[in-house]
Amino acid sequence: MWAAFRALFTAIGADRAAALLLLVSPVIYAGFYPSAYTDEVVTRAPVVVVDLDRTAASRNLIARVDAIQQADIVASLPSDDEAELWMADGLAVAAIIVPAGFGDDIARGEPGTVLLTGHGAYLLRASSALGGIGAALGQTGRDAAREQARAAGPPAPPALSLVTRPLFNTREGYGAAVFPGVAFVIIHQSLLLGLALLAGTARERMGAEVHVTGPQLAGIALAAGVIGMVDIGWFVGMVFWWHDYPRAAAPLLDVAIAAVLFVAATVAAALALASLFRTRERPLQLVLPFSLPLFFLAGLSWPREATPPVLVALARLFPTSPGMELMVGLNQMGGSLTDYWPAVLNLAVLALGFGTVAMRRWVPRGDKIRPD
Amino acid sequence: MTQPSGFRASFVRECRFLARSPWDLALLTWIPLLLCGVIAWQLSGGVVRDLPVVLIVQENNAISRDLAIRIEAAPGLRLAGKVSDLATAERLVRSHTAHAALLAPRETAERALRGQAPVILYFNASYPAAAAAIQREAAAVVEAANTRLAIEQIAAVAPQGSVRPAPVRAVTTMAWNAPASQEFQLVSLLHPALLHLVFMLAVVSAFGRELRDGSAGEWAPDLAALAGKAAPYLAGFMGWALLTIFWLAGVRGWHFAGSPAVLLGGYAAMYLAYLGVALLFVGATRTLSQSLSMTGLYAGASFAFAGAIFPLEQASTFAKIWGNLLPYTHFARLLARTWVAQGQGMALAVPLLAILGITLVTIVPGAVLYLRAARDPDSWGRR
Repeated sequence: MWAAFRALFTAIGADRAAALLLLVSPVIYAGFYPSAYTDEVVTRAPVVVVDLDRTAASRNLIARVDAIQQADIVASLPSDDEAELWMADGLAVAAIIVPAGFGDDIARGEPGTVLLTGHGAYLLRASSALGGIGAALGQTGRDAAREQARAAGPPAPPALSLVTRPLFNTREGYGAAVFPGVAFVIIHQSLLLGLALLAGTARERMGAEVHVTGPQLAGIALAAGVIGMVDIGWFVGMVFWWHDYPRAAAPLLDVAIAAVLFVAATVAAALALASLFRTRERPLQLVLPFSLPLFFLAGLSWPREATPPVLVALARLFPTSPGMELMVGLNQMGGSLTDYWPAVLNLAVLALGFGTVAMRRWVPRGDKIRPD
Repeated sequence: MTQPSGFRASFVRECRFLARSPWDLALLTWIPLLLCGVIAWQLSGGVVRDLPVVLIVQENNAISRDLAIRIEAAPGLRLAGKVSDLATAERLVRSHTAHAALLAPRETAERALRGQAPVILYFNASYPAAAAAIQREAAAVVEAANTRLAIEQIAAVAPQGSVRPAPVRAVTTMAWNAPASQEFQLVSLLHPALLHLVFMLAVVSAFGRELRDGSAGEWAPDLAALAGKAAPYLAGFMGWALLTIFWLAGVRGWHFAGSPAVLLGGYAAMYLAYLGVALLFVGATRTLSQSLSMTGLYAGASFAFAGAIFPLEQASTFAKIWGNLLPYTHFARLLARTWVAQGQGMALAVPLLAILGITLVTIVPGAVLYLRAARDPDSWGRR
C-alpha cells in the first residue's frame, strides 16, 4: 500500500500536466478567481438623473443622491426617453426621474413621488444603487416632513421601521459570498482531472485492463486524499484569511472531519470516474465544462427552494453539492456538524458508494486480499 | 506528398471522423445540450419563491401575529416557524431550515404608537441570491403592516391630520425585466458562457488531435482546409446558440428588446475569436493536453471576469485587463444591449469590434503557427 502511495506522487512528479492540475492550479486559482471581485461591494454605480421639477426640493434630493457611496451621477438628462437610451447603451445602471410638481406636492403636504428605474440586466448593481438612493430619499423625506410640519403639523412617523442585519457575511461582499463555494468546485475538479489524466495515461500505455490490488488502490486513494486535505488547508486556512473572507469560529474538529468527508467523497468519485478514461486528454475535454453547472447545482447562487426537486435530488450525487453546503456552513457560517447532518450523511454515502464502484473497476475479482 | 485538401474535403473528413468517434461527437452534440438544459431547467423557477423565514416572537401581541400572517401571505416567503430567541433562530438559519429571521422586539407594540419601532431582519448574507429576495419581500411586509397600523391604531390616538403618507415616495421598477427575474439575467449569460467553453474545447481537440496523432501529414492542410475543419463546429454551436435563444425568448417569453440579428452576429464573432485563440494555443504549444489546460484557464472562468454580475470596473487592475481580453466579456455587454435593452450605434459597434479585434490578433498568428506545426513532423506526437 505504501509503495502505491509513493508511486502516485512519483507519477505526478513525472507528468507535468498532472502536476499542473493537481498541485499548481489550486494556487493559481486562489489568486486568479477572487481578483474579479476585489472591491466586494458595489459602489459608484453609474446613475442618470432627470429633473423635470427644478425646485429647491428636487435639487436637495439630487444633491443628497450625489453624496451617497453606492451611486455616482454621471449625467443630468432632459427627458426620461433619453435616460432610457443611456441605460440601453450601457452608460448607466439606474435612473432617477423627479416629475414636475414634486416640490409643490411636498409644500402642499402631499407625498412627492420619485420614479426609480433599474437596469434589468444588471440586477445586483441596480439594486445596490437603488438601495442607496432609497436611503437618500429617506433623508429628503425627513427634510420635507419638516416643511410639511409648518403647514400641517408634524406627521406621525410610520409605526414600524425595518432594520436589516446581515448574518455571517457582515460586509455583504459579493466575492465573500461566492468564492468560499467556488474553492470547493476547484478542489473537486482539480482532483478529478488530475487523477483521470493519470488513469487515462496509464491505461493508454499499459492497455485498457489496468488493475491494482485492493491495498494499492487504498494507497493511491490515501495519496490523493493527502493532496485534497492540503488543498483544503490551503484554501480554508490561508486563502480565505488572505482575502479577508468571513471566517466563523467553527470547532476545528468539526472542520477537520468535514474536510475528511469531502475529500473522501471527492477522491472516491474521482477514482471511480477515472476508471472510465482510456485516453490521456479525454478528461480535460469532458470534465471542464461541468464546473459551472456543478457550482449552480450546489444551491449557493441559486437557492434549493427555487430548484426543481428532481434536480435537487440529482445534485446530491455530486460531492460538490453537500460539500459546499457543509464547508460554507462551517467555515463561513460557524455552524457545527450536527447542523448539517444531512450533508454529512450525503458525503459519507457518496464516499462509500463511489468507493465501492472504484474497487470494482480497479481491483480484479478474487484479487482483493493479496500480500504486498 | 498528398494533395492539399480544400474547404470541402476538410469538412467532410472532419464529419467522417466525428461519426467514428462518439466522445468527440458528444462534445458537439449531447454535452452542450445537457449542460444548457440543466441550467435552463434549474433556473426555470424564474423568480425565487417560498423562502423560509422564522419569526422571533418575544411577546405574543397583535403586531407579531400580524407579521406572521403577512410573512406567510407574501409570495416570496414562507413562515418556517416561530421561535422565542435569536440563538435558536440563528441555529435554524445555519442549518438552512430558514434563510432569515424577523424579530419584533418586546417593546415594539408600545413603541409602534410613537413611531419608528424597530423590526429587525437577520438574513443569511452568505447566500446572496436568497438574501436579496428576502430583503425586498420583508420591506414590503413591513410597509403593508405600517399602512394598516396607521389606519387602525395610530389615527385613533394621533393629532388630526398627522397620519399621512411619507412625504417622499419612491416608485421602483426594473426596466426591461419587470419582475427582476434572475432567470432572465442568469440564463441569458450562462448559456453563452457554457457554449463558448465547450466550443473552444471541441476545436482545440480537433486541431490538436491532428498533431498528437500525426494525422496532419495525411491531411496536409492549407488555409481553406483549416476553415473546413472548423466549419462543422461553427455550424453546430451556432445551432445551439439559436436553440438556447429560442428557449429563453420564445418558450420562456423573454423577448428581444433589440435586434436578434446583431446578437447572432455577436455569437458568430465570439466563436471566431475563440477559434483564433484555439489555433494560437495549439500552434504555439503543439501539445493537445497543454492547450486543453490553457483553454480551461482562458475560457473556463469567463463568467466571473465578464463584469456581468459584479462590475469589472470594481475589480483589480489585473482583472480589468484580463476581462477585456476575453471575447465573452464583450459579448456579455452586447447581450445587455441587444436582448435585454435596445442599444444604438456605438454601443453595439464597440463590443462587436472588440471581439473582431481579438479574432484578428489571434487567428492570423494562430493559423500561421498551426500550419507551420502541421508541416513539421518532428513536433508531432507530443502528449
